[in-house]
Amino acid sequence: MGQDKELLLSLHIDQKIEKSKSIIKEGLEKFGRDKTSLAITGGKDSTTALWIAKNVCDEMGLKLPVCMFIDEGDVFDEIREFVEYIKNLWSLDIAFLKNRDVAEKAGALGDTVKASSLNDVNRAALSEMNFSEEEFPFIPDSTVCNHLMKTLPMREFIVKNNINLMSIAIRWDEQAARKEDAFFVPRENPPHTRMHPILHLRERDIWIAIFKNDIPYNKLYKLGYRSLGARCATGRASDIPAWMQDLENTPERVGRGQEKEKMMDQLRALGYM
Amino acid sequence: MGLDGVPYTLLKEYIERGLMPEVGKLAGTGKLLKMKSTLPEISSVAWTSFMTGKNPGEHGIFGFMEINRDTYEYTFPDFYSLKERPVWERNGWKSVVLNIPQTYPAKPLNGVLVSGFVALDLKKATYPERVFDYLSGMGYRIDVNARLAAENPDEFFKDLFHTLGKRKEAIEHLYDNEEWDLFIAAITETDRLHHFFFDSALAGDHYDKFERFYREIDAFIGKMASKAKEDGAGFLTCSDHGFTPIKSEVYINRWLMENGYLVLNSGDGLTGITRDSRAFNLDPSRIYIHLEGKYGRGPVKSTEYEPLRNELREKLKEISFEGQKVIKEVFTKEEIFKGPQTANGPDLYLLPNYGFDLKGVANRPNIFGMTRFRGMHTYDDAHLFSSAPLELEDPKIEDVASIISEWVRGSAP
Repeated sequence: MGQDKELLLSLHIDQKIEKSKSIIKEGLEKFGRDKTSLAITGGKDSTTALWIAKNVCDEMGLKLPVCMFIDEGDVFDEIREFVEYIKNLWSLDIAFLKNRDVAEKAGALGDTVKASSLNDVNRAALSEMNFSEEEFPFIPDSTVCNHLMKTLPMREFIVKNNINLMSIAIRWDEQAARKEDAFFVPRENPPHTRMHPILHLRERDIWIAIFKNDIPYNKLYKLGYRSLGARCATGRASDIPAWMQDLENTPERVGRGQEKEKMMDQLRALGYM
Repeated sequence: MGLDGVPYTLLKEYIERGLMPEVGKLAGTGKLLKMKSTLPEISSVAWTSFMTGKNPGEHGIFGFMEINRDTYEYTFPDFYSLKERPVWERNGWKSVVLNIPQTYPAKPLNGVLVSGFVALDLKKATYPERVFDYLSGMGYRIDVNARLAAENPDEFFKDLFHTLGKRKEAIEHLYDNEEWDLFIAAITETDRLHHFFFDSALAGDHYDKFERFYREIDAFIGKMASKAKEDGAGFLTCSDHGFTPIKSEVYINRWLMENGYLVLNSGDGLTGITRDSRAFNLDPSRIYIHLEGKYGRGPVKSTEYEPLRNELREKLKEISFEGQKVIKEVFTKEEIFKGPQTANGPDLYLLPNYGFDLKGVANRPNIFGMTRFRGMHTYDDAHLFSSAPLELEDPKIEDVASIISEWVRGSAP
């Protein structure tokens, strides 16, 4: 993949979008529109991927597959508004997922959730991850909450709707952990295939595609956010619009997971890492 | 009282030099012993063994960081990651616990808890809230600013003494004003001073600071010991590991790369690990075999595991620096851990000879090097002081919890 990857990353934006279209087309032909779902977050990447998918479906004479939006417990109001906006704009069918049991038992952010107060499914999910404490804090980007609030609703959605192909808008240059990903990846638990149609787009390409094709984007980016996640785990990278920042030389996820960054910083100061 | 990183041999030397008369007096009436830390001899692991009385194979904390087995990003175990409970939670004793590492974020308990390193936010580090109000009001410091040590030593020393002052003030306040059956407080400033300046511990440019610092520690220990005596409480101090000066840092991941065991295609930690990589190291010297099935990109088949582990064990023993052997001993996980968490521990653990500070950093250009650090942890030179007779002659840090338990159960010793 090494050489192919370099080649794909160096393409012109129009060629990159053509490549994305051919991936989506391949996925839809192989798995069928009704067994496909598109994950959306209201962020720039999944909105761009959705726009590309819409073009493919229009060309194929299909209605867009169902979109999946996960509410992890701390969603920006601006994201809700934006998702509502594109829903109306493109007549989207969106499944809004939320682990209500955990969210209700937690109440507010940072509150303690007693494991024994949760339903069987959530308790089983906790023991699956070897969690043996009696309680945990409700912090959407923590390992426990990630599992309960994101992984679990997605799994249920896939099983319940018999989804075989899940499209996710990750990119190779987004963070180092994505570097080895492929366009189609088989996954277990539950068995399905992940499709990554915009892997080869860089952060800069996304903004070029957005402005060139008039794709809607969330106003938070204009305020300086580069990457959007749970509200409590997302910060502004700068106070100038995302697309005007030094995209090539500063980290995209700079405002994300600030607790983790702080922790790493303290450990580094003492010679770890 | 926990004294982070204070070696037995240093205490003996300072008593000898007359720098620590109070501890000297205590040692005359009680018992001062050399104590073994945990493997890895790291604060998070050792203090977890201290508070649970268990080894890492049971409590599940093997270091400050672990790795996500699919994305290879670092993850950071916190207080909620412990698989065994601290003695105070197990027994529901009325307790005050201040500044013990690996207790962040604070969990509710019968008493007061203020988390130690790595604690990011004082509010999340404190239970209950009224104690947070007190601490934020008096200007409590969770930790010194370690970055200052290399950039501006004078400012670092100022910060060190200031932080120690606030720590002592908070300890005394909670001691005097809270109800407790068990009172535990740790001083971290010792460890911070040692990391950056331990080459001056016996003589050198900064020896005057060591003198001043340890006289202050001595006076405080004397004060707390006499308070405990008045209250009819047993008094104990211990450290989580010892310290020794650094001859060289040793970058084990670099060694793995140069010997063909590890290939990284990016400089961001281990996230760029390739499918050709057969082993990697996490701080300080936890070697993991990159097994297929266990790790997303692991190429090593289970049948290849033992031969590879033996091969690595033999080769790693041979690393040398200016004619000296770097590694004292190589352990398999089965040799040093026992309990249900053993499988999550490192496949090999390297214990270095004094002076060789083994590191997990992945992007160093050479196997050996020096940075701003002047002191490294030691395994066999922690200390334990008890005001009451102890039967133990060769204690390990995980023994301390049972001493504490006996004392609390039997009232004062």
